[in-house]
Amino acid sequence: MKNLLLLEDLPEIRAWLKSLVLQVFPDARISESARVHDALELVSAVKFDLALIDLGLPDGSGVDVVSALRETQPEAQSVVVTIHDDDEHLFPALQAGAFGYLLKEQARELLTEQLQRISQGEPPLSPSIARRVISYFAAQAKPQASMMPAVQLTERESEVLLRVAKGFTLPEIGVQLNLSRHTIADYVKQIYRKLNVSSRAEAALEAQRLGLFRR
Amino acid sequence: MALLAVLFWISPAAWALALRFDSALVVESPAPRFPAQLTSRLVSLPDDWAASRPGRGGPVWYRVVFDAPGVHDRGELQALLIERACSSYEVYLNGQLVQRDGPMDETVTRNCQRPHLVTLPAALMQDSRNTLDLRVVGQPLERVASHLRAARLSALEIGPQATLAARHADLMTWRLTLPEVVSATLLLLGGFMFAMGWRHRRDSYLAYFGALSFGWAIITARLWWEDLPLPPAWAELVLCSLMPFIVMCAVQFLMRYAGRRHRGLTIALWLQCALVPASVLLIGERHIFWAASAWYALLSAETLAAVVVYLRLVHREQPGEFGPMAVLLGAMVLLVGIEMVGQQRETAGMIGDLSHLAIPVVFVVIGLRLVQHFARALQSAEEGRQSLEARIREATAEIERNFAQLAELRVEQVTERERKRIAADLHDDLGAKLLTIVHTSESERISTLAREALEEMRLSVRGLTGKPVRLIDALGDWRAEVVSRLAQAGVEADWNAPTDDVPHTLSARAYVQTTRILREAVSNIIKHSSASHCQITCTLGEEDFQFVVQDNGKGIPLELDGRLDRGHGMSSMKQRAKQLQGQCLVESGPGYGTVIRLTLPL
Repeated sequence: MKNLLLLEDLPEIRAWLKSLVLQVFPDARISESARVHDALELVSAVKFDLALIDLGLPDGSGVDVVSALRETQPEAQSVVVTIHDDDEHLFPALQAGAFGYLLKEQARELLTEQLQRISQGEPPLSPSIARRVISYFAAQAKPQASMMPAVQLTERESEVLLRVAKGFTLPEIGVQLNLSRHTIADYVKQIYRKLNVSSRAEAALEAQRLGLFRR
Repeated sequence: MALLAVLFWISPAAWALALRFDSALVVESPAPRFPAQLTSRLVSLPDDWAASRPGRGGPVWYRVVFDAPGVHDRGELQALLIERACSSYEVYLNGQLVQRDGPMDETVTRNCQRPHLVTLPAALMQDSRNTLDLRVVGQPLERVASHLRAARLSALEIGPQATLAARHADLMTWRLTLPEVVSATLLLLGGFMFAMGWRHRRDSYLAYFGALSFGWAIITARLWWEDLPLPPAWAELVLCSLMPFIVMCAVQFLMRYAGRRHRGLTIALWLQCALVPASVLLIGERHIFWAASAWYALLSAETLAAVVVYLRLVHREQPGEFGPMAVLLGAMVLLVGIEMVGQQRETAGMIGDLSHLAIPVVFVVIGLRLVQHFARALQSAEEGRQSLEARIREATAEIERNFAQLAELRVEQVTERERKRIAADLHDDLGAKLLTIVHTSESERISTLAREALEEMRLSVRGLTGKPVRLIDALGDWRAEVVSRLAQAGVEADWNAPTDDVPHTLSARAYVQTTRILREAVSNIIKHSSASHCQITCTLGEEDFQFVVQDNGKGIPLELDGRLDRGHGMSSMKQRAKQLQGQCLVESGPGYGTVIRLTLPL
């Protein structure tokens, strides 16, 4: 039994996504929404297990919904469903706590497979996102950021990220590091989590800094 | 009389040399010949009338008697040298007029500096008892401003013409030629400095010094200008009036050179310039000397005071300047003192002549010093101006550069914003519609086409907005896509490419086009080749990089050869490679797989 939020403004695509979700989770209860405003209301009222969130919406960005979910329902899994495949759009969503992303135009079979993997804790990670994550944590490790709560990647996590950045697939990395596919997936999950935690700490610190300035 | 004549009888032994007469018989008489019948006195030479006959202007007769034994035998020309005869004279030898110099009445002012050489005709000479008479007229001291122009007669010398001519030439040089040269120099210097001071009004001391030099040059002209074309009284007035002007210039020069300006002082000095001639006129020509002397004393005191004030100021404000200026001005004061004494009474000949010459020399030295200072100041001003100009030029260039950068930045920002807007629009509108087609079309073909169109659009947008991509990152992206797509299609992929030490970058456009070409190649393999294995090798050259994509599929059927394009996108791959100045070669044999060689410049 799954409680599922579906945020998508195009009716056809929403319908299509709904059929896709029902194919993967036949007994899911789906709350649909076309606007950020409505979605935020739903988030404050209903407890969700999984949320499929579009980014570009008429009244704002789906990133806000990802953040709200992360704040109020940490155990809910946010998955970004978008037409944008570039890290410029995806990275903020991932920082906000999204746990992977799906590209809308992909074939149904591919999407169902990916959705299944995500729900099993195996989120996708492209080389460009991996590079972005690496440079993000490298910047965090710099001395001037020492006031930040120290969220750092382990050596293994860094190793996985580096290999992803070089274009190796997760199964390939598993073979290279002599690790199981699940272990590799755990690393990826852990990377996403740390990215979110560190980003939130950074945001809090930034808010505090602004507050100090205002005083 | 005979006894007196004996006194002047010169022994024959001394005759080879010039004879010097330090005394003469004198008769004051307007007679046309030496009045032998009148009682004559013996006076010593030089005879200064101011002392011997105050207030008198002549004419006065002088007589000397001399022997010239064997003068006809030797055939040597004899001459008389008169160092000074003020102002006009006549010479009679044995009663015959042999020389007349200057008007015997008072129509012009003659200078008394000129030495005179009178050749004595041998025909008129006797072996013994020659009488030489001189008739002299001049100005009494009271009627001249300076002792220099008061009536007198110097000692006389008679001897061989050659000997005396040399002495005469020496005297001419010292008394006339050198002052003439000095006058010209001062005139030039004064003119130059005045012009300089006039052009640079802030350095007015230069103009005053120029005027001072100029004035002194005119004063010096009194030494060599034989006949001033003015009646004596007027000439004296003019010379007198020049003095306050010169003093004014001197005082003003000193004050301004020390950086002081006094309006009251300027007015007073100008007033003095008018007062001097007025007072001289008022007192009358009979007492010019005393009026002039009083004024000269006052003017000297003023000048001395100005020198003292100047030196004190300089000592306090520019200690470096004090030493040299003190020496120069000290010398000047000393020389002017000597000159002043010369105005009053007869000075020993050489000292007076030297002071006439030395004053202008000091002027010239001071002038050169000023010019040097001025040139240095001018040079530093010029340097300052040049450095200022250079700084302005630099600043202008900097501003222009900044402006250009700003404009460029602005263009970049606007372009970037516009790109983003277009990209967003494409995604939101076109993207959404294509997406709808992808997921709602009944036809698999239309759905595929729409998906491909969406991918194309996305790549186009990336090319539109993109920054240069590091080749190492691009290789990562390409590997991830190619390997995972082939793996999903069940084709075993073998990717060989450098993973480290790739410093190159690709333009966004090259990145996008290469992505498309590789994507097309992989699509072909998946769709058409039925291959089970695919090897992708990337090698980096000096100026290009190469991809070789080789599959073990069934190759391209013969009937398609030559028209490889249909459904295979071969022509678009080649077209894209060409656009990037690269090339894409396809080799295929039925049953032997296909090899695509893609070479692109870096």
